[in-house]
Amino acid sequence: MGRGNWGRWVVIIAVTLGSIWYLIPTYYSFFVLPKGQRNDLKLLQSKLPRWAPGANHRLNLGLDLQGGIHMVMRVDTQTALQKRVERRGLQIVNYLRDQKIEGVTYTTDPNKLQLTLKAPDAATLDKVEKELKGFDDFSKVSRAADSVTFQLKDTQVSRFRDEAVDQAMLVIRRRIDKWGVAEVDVRKMGTDSIQISLPGQQDPEQAKELIGTTAQLEFRMVDDKNPFFSQLMAKHPPPPDSGIRLVRPNGYDQLEGKDREALLAFARQGVPPDREVLLQCVTTQAQKGTCDSYLAFLVDRQVPLTGESLATADYSRSQTSNDFEVNLSFDTQGGIEFAKLTGDNVGRYMAIVLDDNVNSAPRINERIPNGRARITLGHSIGKTDEQMLQEALNLVLVLRAGALPAPVTTGEIRQVGASLGDELVRRGSLAALVGLGLVVAFMAVYYRKSGLIADVALILNGLLILAGLALFNATLTLPGIAGFVLTLGIAVDANVLINERVREELDAGKSARAAVDQGYDRAFWTIFDAHVTTLIAGFILLSTGTGPVRGFATSLIIGLVASLFTSIVVTRAITTYFVHGRGAQTVSV
Amino acid sequence: MRILKHKTNIDFIGKRKPALFISSVLNLAILVGIAIFGFNFGVDFAGGTVVELKFNHPISAAEVRARAEAARLHDVSVQGIGSSTENSYLLRLGGVTQLTEESAVTALKALTDLGGISNVHTDVQNGLINFRSAQKIDPQKVRDAITASGTGVKEVRALGTAQGGGEDYQVVASGMADKITAAMGKGLQQPDFQVRRVDYVGPQVGNQLRNKGIAALLYAMLAILVYVAFRFDFKFGPGALVAMVHDVVMVSGYYLVSRREFNLTSIAVLLTITGYSINDTIVIYDRIREEMARYKGKPLPEIINIAVNDTLSRTILTSGVTALSLVGLLIFGVGEIWDFAMAMLIGIIVGTYSSVYIASPLTIWLDERAARKKAAGSAMKVRAA
Repeated sequence: MGRGNWGRWVVIIAVTLGSIWYLIPTYYSFFVLPKGQRNDLKLLQSKLPRWAPGANHRLNLGLDLQGGIHMVMRVDTQTALQKRVERRGLQIVNYLRDQKIEGVTYTTDPNKLQLTLKAPDAATLDKVEKELKGFDDFSKVSRAADSVTFQLKDTQVSRFRDEAVDQAMLVIRRRIDKWGVAEVDVRKMGTDSIQISLPGQQDPEQAKELIGTTAQLEFRMVDDKNPFFSQLMAKHPPPPDSGIRLVRPNGYDQLEGKDREALLAFARQGVPPDREVLLQCVTTQAQKGTCDSYLAFLVDRQVPLTGESLATADYSRSQTSNDFEVNLSFDTQGGIEFAKLTGDNVGRYMAIVLDDNVNSAPRINERIPNGRARITLGHSIGKTDEQMLQEALNLVLVLRAGALPAPVTTGEIRQVGASLGDELVRRGSLAALVGLGLVVAFMAVYYRKSGLIADVALILNGLLILAGLALFNATLTLPGIAGFVLTLGIAVDANVLINERVREELDAGKSARAAVDQGYDRAFWTIFDAHVTTLIAGFILLSTGTGPVRGFATSLIIGLVASLFTSIVVTRAITTYFVHGRGAQTVSV
Repeated sequence: MRILKHKTNIDFIGKRKPALFISSVLNLAILVGIAIFGFNFGVDFAGGTVVELKFNHPISAAEVRARAEAARLHDVSVQGIGSSTENSYLLRLGGVTQLTEESAVTALKALTDLGGISNVHTDVQNGLINFRSAQKIDPQKVRDAITASGTGVKEVRALGTAQGGGEDYQVVASGMADKITAAMGKGLQQPDFQVRRVDYVGPQVGNQLRNKGIAALLYAMLAILVYVAFRFDFKFGPGALVAMVHDVVMVSGYYLVSRREFNLTSIAVLLTITGYSINDTIVIYDRIREEMARYKGKPLPEIINIAVNDTLSRTILTSGVTALSLVGLLIFGVGEIWDFAMAMLIGIIVGTYSSVYIASPLTIWLDERAARKKAAGSAMKVRAA
């Protein structure tokens, strides 16, 4: 070699070794772990050698290859908006009655989100309009002799939509968290849809649970006098590596642990029959959907009050202490029950439980008679205003989820059975291997030694694509395999271009050395342009595509970059080594 | 080894007129065909439900269809996938929920027969019926009444007391997939099939996906055009663009004639073909540019002929090798992947053809036009002077 080519070889060897290194977690997840536990990142991490990349850098199989459910939920904001318009109508009529304007009735048009107020005569109607001047969530559409029509403002509609979708996402995340599924992806799509991927899940019943009615909200009493947890810790000390420990952040015994399942299993040993252990998700960051640790509560099994009785929830800021407050109001029956519950339990803690997860457990300071409760979020140390506001907002969303249904419907479900997934993996890899084999054989026959060099580059290209997918945490889907095969074709094209060029130069009577150098130099820009144009198509696919198309685009892009590297840098280095370094007088193309 | 032993000297440019004529006629025919017959849109775009069933015994498509008919599922389409020994079928129905325009009528009648029902609002697209009842009503009663009228009910939700009095409820109709599996297993103690895949796309989502897909295609073409104009001379741009459009139309023609499903993967194919077609075109353009510099003064048609002939073996080889890499997919791919490979193969063939016969001749035409304009321009100047 020599002559300044060292740098090139170092890069090539480093890239090759790096790719192999990056594929270690993938190798372990496919060939060391049992098939059923392939998605278990913790197990994978524990098996991996210390010097290997993290377990999250393994190559993921897409839903279509490992089986699972992909769905898109539509939040039915229209129904919720219709109800809101109606509620507003009643509020207005009541307000006008308070202002001594009598005889006003209202009708609503559910399809247009319009509200029409009807008055007995024009004079009354004028008064109504004057009263409603400061009424800013609706705008006036038309006025007839005895009626005036208002329309819910677009800004209100979009704000409401956002809120409703956020609320639904929160509920869905909590419900999925309860199942303990690894690698769940929940994200907002468009204005009113939520996209959910559940790899490995096969049970559509579980999926249905996500769109079941609204969140189940309960108020339960915390048993703060019971020494159950401390006795448990004394009697059956947990294994030291479980991280379970006894804590008293709220003035009573609680258990804390990092692993949800382990904590639940431990804490539920020998629970008294009239008690239950529920967990609270503790996050240190405002990031939604991830729990840093869990806190166990011992609560009464009996449920004195559920969210069905809750009418509204809102947040405000206290004038005196500057703390955030969440205000609840119950309907009539709920108010009576709430008064009794709080009156009987002054000084105790009440757990607000949503879908079997404790959301918060405020202390009851006094009997609350009027069906209006206020939860004060005490200013904890180290929390910023921003975080407190987020906490208040979350609590309001949670409470409203029990009170204000914005029904959710399924917009799209794609479910792939595990057996089909296995078959697709088998067929997909077979197809890729056959394609690769044919191309490799052809190149070796057609271009002899140069063909073999191109084959080395081609195989390296395949390795680089897999490592690239692992590096970027991409997911390998069936269209992804198709993209993989296609890039192999394009990578070969680059070598064909070069070799044809070298042949032409040889035909023109140039020496082997000059032919190789000029062949590569001349082919470079052609290859570059050809790759860049296909890359443009790939990036546009990636940015606008959804689901399967993105998988295709990802492997196409990684493949094209790898192909540029292998065809221009790698094959050239090898050919140059033979022609220059060994001083060969001929080149075999 | 060489496929072309000697340097070829084929007069491609001389045949450009018949080639352009045939291509234009074909393209027009395909566009007209699309306008008249339309694509066979898959659920991705049209919305609807697809269920893939694998039976555990040999069964023919006719038998599967007969079962569906027996359960009064008339508009279900049955399509076998893979080889016949696999006993796998795709069953497709247009709707996504069991609430259709027709079934909504009977469901509404059943609902109003319960008495005290008002404010009924049906949303067929999402399979929802909202209604208000004067008194609290047992959800089970609502479910039974609507189920008896022929629409499966997934859930009856109580939406709470309406402010103006009365109770609000929402009926959510079951999905079509349930109906299909129920129909296929009707009268059997144990279903003799396995549900392997369920795809279910609502109409709004479908429209969104289609618009996004088409937008992606247009953006990609535009971006590629800009790149070509930037890297080469502007006169190369239109030829490249027309060749791209030609290839996209031709591959669309495959979907049109074969009645294969046009879905998200088809958009991916079209985009790849766009990239591939321009790839091929650029290699030839590159050569034309090089030869133009070498033989200054030679007429453009001759230069193009030399360039196309010089790159001919490369063009054939590249297309052949890329096609070779698709062979695996064609042999082992099933369903969507087979369609993908087939459409790609056609795209590669027309892409190769278009870069030789369409992209390059168009450059000549533009060059001639520019020359004529220039001549006319200088003639005018002379007159003015």
